[in-house]
Amino acid sequence: MMEFKTSEGRIEINPTRDGASFIHEGLIVHTGENLWLEIDGRKHKAVATKVGDVWWVHVLGHTLQFEVVEPGVSSSDDEGGLTAPMPGKILEVHVSVGQTVSSGDVLMVMEAMKMEHKIVAGSDGVVETILFKEGDQVPQGAELLTISE
Amino acid sequence: MLKRTLVANRGEIACRILRACREAGIEGVAIFAGNDSGTLFTELADIAVELEGDGLAETYLNQEQILQIAIENDCDSIHPGFGFLSERADFAQAVIDSGLIWIGPSPEAITKMGDKMTARITMKDAGVPVIPGEEVDGGLQEVLDVAPSVGYPLLLKATAGGGGKGMRAVHKQEDLESEAKAAMREALNAFGDDRIYVERLLTGSRHIEIQVLADKYGHTIHLGERECSIQRRHQKVFEESPSVALDSELREAMGEAACDAARAVDYEGAGTVEFLLSPKGEFFFLEMNTRIQVEHPVTEMVTGVDLVREQLRIAGGEPMSCGALSMRGHAIEVRLYAEDPANNFLPAIGELKRFIAPTGPGVRLDTGVREGDAVTPDYDPMLAKLIVWAPSRQEALQRMGRALDEFVVLGCTTNVRFLRELCNHPDVVDGWTTTDMIERLWPDGWSPDRGGKILDSGLLIATACESTNHGKTVMLSGDSSPSLSPFSTINRRFP
Repeated sequence: MMEFKTSEGRIEINPTRDGASFIHEGLIVHTGENLWLEIDGRKHKAVATKVGDVWWVHVLGHTLQFEVVEPGVSSSDDEGGLTAPMPGKILEVHVSVGQTVSSGDVLMVMEAMKMEHKIVAGSDGVVETILFKEGDQVPQGAELLTISE
Repeated sequence: MLKRTLVANRGEIACRILRACREAGIEGVAIFAGNDSGTLFTELADIAVELEGDGLAETYLNQEQILQIAIENDCDSIHPGFGFLSERADFAQAVIDSGLIWIGPSPEAITKMGDKMTARITMKDAGVPVIPGEEVDGGLQEVLDVAPSVGYPLLLKATAGGGGKGMRAVHKQEDLESEAKAAMREALNAFGDDRIYVERLLTGSRHIEIQVLADKYGHTIHLGERECSIQRRHQKVFEESPSVALDSELREAMGEAACDAARAVDYEGAGTVEFLLSPKGEFFFLEMNTRIQVEHPVTEMVTGVDLVREQLRIAGGEPMSCGALSMRGHAIEVRLYAEDPANNFLPAIGELKRFIAPTGPGVRLDTGVREGDAVTPDYDPMLAKLIVWAPSRQEALQRMGRALDEFVVLGCTTNVRFLRELCNHPDVVDGWTTTDMIERLWPDGWSPDRGGKILDSGLLIATACESTNHGKTVMLSGDSSPSLSPFSTINRRFP
């Protein structure tokens, strides 16, 4: 049994293993020197590599990411925060602590790669903390502010 | 004939120019910032010189330092590529004043075309049609004053601009002031000049541009069109030649207008005249790019003309080598960006842990990156241009789809799947490409179509790899060699 975080949420998978092959709901993956996916008797080349805890997989013209969830780690998600999508500078802060915001509201504007990007509320809520002010440099992934539901 | 050329650029376009120099028997000198040390373009040069300093202003935009390197290394010419100093008339002038050859048009032509407002006026005078709009002297108040007479929707554009920076579409009056402020701020940051102007936004239009070449012997020719309608954030992602919207009569009319535009500024070298083509078939001058363009390969593929080689030839004082226009087959270019198309096309960074480019007939890859390179926020997020040629548009779309399916990039998010789905989209297949099509087709953002067993397949592969350690430590396993296409390995040694 293995658990991954994906763009569609957490998913568990429990495939059958046969030597270097793994079988799950009509799909077969052959590992070894090369990586092959077999569907309905047809083989498709796949490429995979691990970066940190994330498996990057290229198969059937798609690129997918799966973050390995260590067994025993609680499944409560770390959402609710809004993070910088890339390193840059905060240009404008549009909200203040305690302010009620609706999904889609612009909370901050930041500049990165010479373009302006809007940080937008993903859900309705109340601004709890604001962690940066105008002019601050922020690293990628930095939490910018928090919103309570 | 040039002998030694300094390429004042980096990445993909520096590779393109250095290879052309090598083919023409001209020695190539690369300059590189410290954080570009060891990248592909530095290896393609006969001499590579590290720039002192950090940040763009001290390195790739540092005119004095670049000129000094050119002189110290006995260069006779400078090729600016695109971006950076390519449209800086003061740099062109400084190059000429130092006794070197500037591979591009005269500083006067750059000035006239570079200031978008002066260009509008010059074109009007030359009888080239321009978009209805207002030239303003800048200043927020003046923009606010003239906007109502231009009408909505309208487009704010940086007077000094290009590349989508400082450009904002405004659909209603109440957004005007905040968008104008944002546009001016972006323009100031990008170009050091916050002047903007106001133009009618022509919805449903196509972006058609005409490639021109002019030499010192009075020849000014056009090399047909490129259609670059498919854009996100006002930056092109998908370019093709020919355009489905042009017949030979319209091509000749637009080509002649482009040549008139070039002649109006005594243009020399390679340049591009951009037009908007309205649904009614009227065309309007947008701007002239006084440099080689990112999407020049599609023209090269259908005309058989090596545009960079012609630039070198013309700058060296020779006549251009190409004659009457003949276009053959169909070419498409897509721009592979390090960005997340499912998240508003935000730029991404990461390490290119795997970078396996497609090969095969009719496929060309222009890139400056290799497997193992880091994608950082320091430079433009364009990783590569993938270009295909095929006898017909339909076959070119099929070939591009096949090539994109083969393109493996792991470790950094890219738009490769978005580009792949474009190739199958009915609007693209049928040729209904317009500048607003991405917003029109995906008003709430794009997300990949992962129907069938895609997610389950990936999940099973990840599980199998995690269980067997496949791909964890072995970077290059089995038959998947790390080499790029033959185009990008020309100068590399093989055992």
